Amino acid sequence: MGILSLTTFIPLLGALIVLLIPKGQVKLIRGAAVLTTLAALAASLCALNAFDPGTIAMDGLPMQFMEKYDWIPTFNIHYQMGADGLSLPLIVLTTFLCFLAAVYSTSITERVKEFFFWYLLLEVGMLGVFCALDMFLFYMFWELTLVPMYFLIGVWGGPKKEFAAIKFFLFTLFGSVFMLLGILALYFQSNPHTFDMLELMKATGGFSREFQIIVFMAFYLGLAVKVPAFPFHTWLPLAHVEAPTPVSVILAGILLKMGVYGLLRISYSILPAGYEWFLPYLIVIAFINIVYGALCAMAQTDMKKMVAYSSVNHMGYCLLGMAAVSSTGFNGAVLQMINHGIITAALFFLVGVIYDRAHTRDITAFGGLGARVPVYAGLMAMTCFASLGLPGLAGFISEFLCFLGAFPAWKLYTVLSVSGILVTAAFFLRMLQKVFLGPFNEKWKDLPDMNLRELVAVAPLAGLMLLFGIWPRLVLDIMNPTLTVMAKMFPGMFAIVR
Amino acid sequence: MIEYAYLIPLLPLAASALILFLGKEGEHSKMPYLGLAVMGACLLVSTCIFAESLLGSVDLPYYKTIPWFNFGQFEMTLGVLIDGPAATLLFVVTLVSFLVQLYSLGYMHGEKRLKRYYAYLSLFTAAMLGLVVSSNLLVLFACWELVGLASYLLIGFWFEKPGPAYASKKAFMTTKLGDCGLYVGLLLLFASQGTFDLQMLQYRASLGPEYFPLEIATAVGLLFLFGAAGKSAQVPLFIWLPDAMEGPTPVSALIHAATMVVAGVYLVARTFFIYHAAPIAMGAVAWTGLITAFMAATMALTAYDIKRVLAFSTVSQLGYMMLGLGVGGYNAGLFHLTTHAFFKALLFLGAGSVIHAVHSNDMRDMGELRHKMPVTAITVGIAVMAIAGVPFLSGWYSKEAILHHVYEHNPSMWVIAIITAGMTAFYMSRMYWRVFFGKAGDSHKWEHAHESPATMTVPLGVLAFLSLVSGAFLEKSGMFHTLVNVDRLLAAPGSPEAAGLGTAHAAPAAGHGQAAAEALAHHAPAWLLPGAAVLMAFGGILLAWKLYGDGDHKLAAAIRERFSWVADILEARYRFDDFFLWLVDLSDRLAGALFWFDAQIIDKIFIDGWAAVTRALAWVSDFFDFRFVDGAVDGVGLITQDGGRALRKLVRGQTQEYLMYAALSVAVLTVFVITR
Repeated sequence: MGILSLTTFIPLLGALIVLLIPKGQVKLIRGAAVLTTLAALAASLCALNAFDPGTIAMDGLPMQFMEKYDWIPTFNIHYQMGADGLSLPLIVLTTFLCFLAAVYSTSITERVKEFFFWYLLLEVGMLGVFCALDMFLFYMFWELTLVPMYFLIGVWGGPKKEFAAIKFFLFTLFGSVFMLLGILALYFQSNPHTFDMLELMKATGGFSREFQIIVFMAFYLGLAVKVPAFPFHTWLPLAHVEAPTPVSVILAGILLKMGVYGLLRISYSILPAGYEWFLPYLIVIAFINIVYGALCAMAQTDMKKMVAYSSVNHMGYCLLGMAAVSSTGFNGAVLQMINHGIITAALFFLVGVIYDRAHTRDITAFGGLGARVPVYAGLMAMTCFASLGLPGLAGFISEFLCFLGAFPAWKLYTVLSVSGILVTAAFFLRMLQKVFLGPFNEKWKDLPDMNLRELVAVAPLAGLMLLFGIWPRLVLDIMNPTLTVMAKMFPGMFAIVR
Repeated sequence: MIEYAYLIPLLPLAASALILFLGKEGEHSKMPYLGLAVMGACLLVSTCIFAESLLGSVDLPYYKTIPWFNFGQFEMTLGVLIDGPAATLLFVVTLVSFLVQLYSLGYMHGEKRLKRYYAYLSLFTAAMLGLVVSSNLLVLFACWELVGLASYLLIGFWFEKPGPAYASKKAFMTTKLGDCGLYVGLLLLFASQGTFDLQMLQYRASLGPEYFPLEIATAVGLLFLFGAAGKSAQVPLFIWLPDAMEGPTPVSALIHAATMVVAGVYLVARTFFIYHAAPIAMGAVAWTGLITAFMAATMALTAYDIKRVLAFSTVSQLGYMMLGLGVGGYNAGLFHLTTHAFFKALLFLGAGSVIHAVHSNDMRDMGELRHKMPVTAITVGIAVMAIAGVPFLSGWYSKEAILHHVYEHNPSMWVIAIITAGMTAFYMSRMYWRVFFGKAGDSHKWEHAHESPATMTVPLGVLAFLSLVSGAFLEKSGMFHTLVNVDRLLAAPGSPEAAGLGTAHAAPAAGHGQAAAEALAHHAPAWLLPGAAVLMAFGGILLAWKLYGDGDHKLAAAIRERFSWVADILEARYRFDDFFLWLVDLSDRLAGALFWFDAQIIDKIFIDGWAAVTRALAWVSDFFDFRFVDGAVDGVGLITQDGGRALRKLVRGQTQEYLMYAALSVAVLTVFVITR
């Protein structure tokens, strides 16, 4: 068994172990779950350690840690996994966030066994999506994330949890049905019929432009819901707000990245003509995501909803980088995925911290907390500044690379999108002012500062924000060769941005 | 010493982290001494570098980089580029930082968050020094934003009060608006030149417009100017600086007078080769500076808050520096930057000393303090004379240099500039007479006023000394002219790998430009410029004495009464604040409207609408299924059943009936057969 399979299926093993532990043994269940996620993290770090990023000069490297077994030979379906500079950082991000969120989840007291069972199953699905190199396998993992998420929101969520869960489920399913059609279309169009992504990438020259456009749209519907790209984003504020804190973290930190990952891995790599056709629309969508998402966030009084809309804005930067079709833009987009994963995870944890104590997330309900809970205020301020793109913290470089990549190709939209940065700064600063600054609201005089469990979840994220902000090559060196090769993969195409 | 230049920003950064994470909070925290010690070390190193540069014992520019990160085939570098202006600013920033940290020991005595105060100060200094030395515009921009963060934290230091909480946000957002311009400028510059390295850019600019196109230079220059207007509080983005006075006074001296606010001026100077290539952008710099200088001076005339008077004065003087750069006085602009740092820091620290004594910012509460606070009165007096342009003090030399260039460039601009100089002399003396002469505004406060402790008066003394002599020293020795030399910047060999090519190409071009400028320049009679300046300086001071030297300010009040509509406009700051508040309000409304659209239209109608449609379809389909499909199935059963029931009536097992049916059948068939 290869390292990728190991990483992916450790959580499955953990889920089975959790099932075997009696319901009453709550501590044991929590311990088993946290250890499982830790083991998966360790496995992915081993993969990272063994990974050779290659150099630009040698045209990157082929997929590494490849595993290929026959699965359903009649339909030429294989169990195929592999990782490159695009997927590996996302795999490590997944195991890392899953570990932190598992630690944070130890405060859950209701139906603990079921919670961790679904939680670990969800991790299997997400890891599988980033590892799979066979369309059938990819789709299976893709759908596997749905059901656990449905239960995690629907059972452990907030007041409108059932509605949020069903809406999330149906919305995503709607998208993935079209994706399934797209997968089948690719299968039947390829000769010999195959689900193998690498084979399909090679076969792309044989697909006509019209076919590529149609299949691109089918995939896009599935992927855009996940990103989420305007106008398929409205499930997100609801689902994020209703989901319990650790699930919001996973949702915003990892699940959204599956969309952009799919755009790069499938839409761009297999359907370049479709991607090229869509670029003028993609840039408009990116612009709308950035500015509209930021303005919607500014209109919120619920902290969690504000953070949710800020995700719409931040994933817009990813789309901006994707629309550049250049090594700069791709590097920016993927780095932004990692950085947004770290930053927004911390934001959701921190919002959860205050909600657990105050049972409200209303921005106007607080005031002057900076003096009362300095550690919390410090971490929150740092995370907000990272999110609004302050240099020295993680978000800045990735945002800047997205803009830098997109600017030569799409001057007007890029310049207009810069206003999104301003609005982002405005709503975060306003939140900081209303919650932490100004006269102290005596109602919260007994508010305790962060406890150890919360610090264990948030402090590593804060550390990474600083580390990646100051020394971004820690991530960029892993992905740059792969992404540079990808950007140059279709030399004759994409005249529109060159 | 210059090879240790990279340590100058890194040491305060480390100090800041140490203080913040390891120090103990409280008014008796020992952390201030750590900050002070590190600052002292930095001051030592930068003084050495400055001295070496002045004496010409090191080769400038000093340039050294290390790789930072790669994307695609591009590489970003971290590095230091020290030329004359950078060496000067290193000295100014470390000196003022050191003095302000020393002064704060006294001023912030008893503050319960002393540790954090010193951590923020160190963070600020680190970022500011990084901005000064960085060899790369992206790193410069990063530090540019970080000084903004430090400014945010320090303006809002007393965050429990609503004023500072609001002012810090306003400062951050206004400068961020300017930064958006700078951001776009960076994008444009990279798209055209493929590098952020200042040496490389300088080299490419020296090759002429085919390598560095005119329209790129113009656009980048204007966009950078917008960014600089944010940081350096130029029209129309100056609105944050008066509010920034909510921060502790030593912070105002350091950040909002001597160092951070000159970052915009420094940016223009650092990228002067771009402006030199783009006359339109250069003109914009000059006019922005001139308008700012004039408007800010008018606003200072009516202010009562001592710190706000100084804030407007800072805005005005920054405008002067911009003006100097914009008319081609590279050396003059940076000269004024240097001298201004000394006398303006001194003014703020002096004002802090006064505020410390009377516990009020309002000049109407002050008066007659010269006996109570002799050291403060004397040192501030020197600063006032320096800024007013009294001959042979530092401000006189640097202002003269700027005015000289302005006159050569355009005499009508000089007229506005010299009037501004007169207003400067007037409002600064007005402040001085009101605070230290006349009658005590609040006798209770006057009773309790006392001279500040030595930690505060020593920095005042040092700065007063520099305000007295720095101008004459730098001007007369000629060293500053050698150090900050525009020809060296424009004709720079630039790229180290192509040094030979660079000079060969660039030198004649620069020489030619110089000659053309000489031919166009306006020349004034030798007595006119100094004469007008002296007249304005003393005229302003004496007029202020006439209006405010006595205790009751009757004449001033009468004038204010007579021209109340002017005063109202000035006190409303020309309504710039209102305009930006309107803009904020507008974006809030837009945000609200978009969110309504998102929740009510997109989500409710287009998304949940699908659910409603699906449910309606489900109902229809259910109805159809139940009535028609199911009905049909049931119908078949019903027909069979009923049919059977009806037929059963025919079959009752009676032989006679069967025979009758048989007979009837035969009869019918027979008829059928026959008729056929």
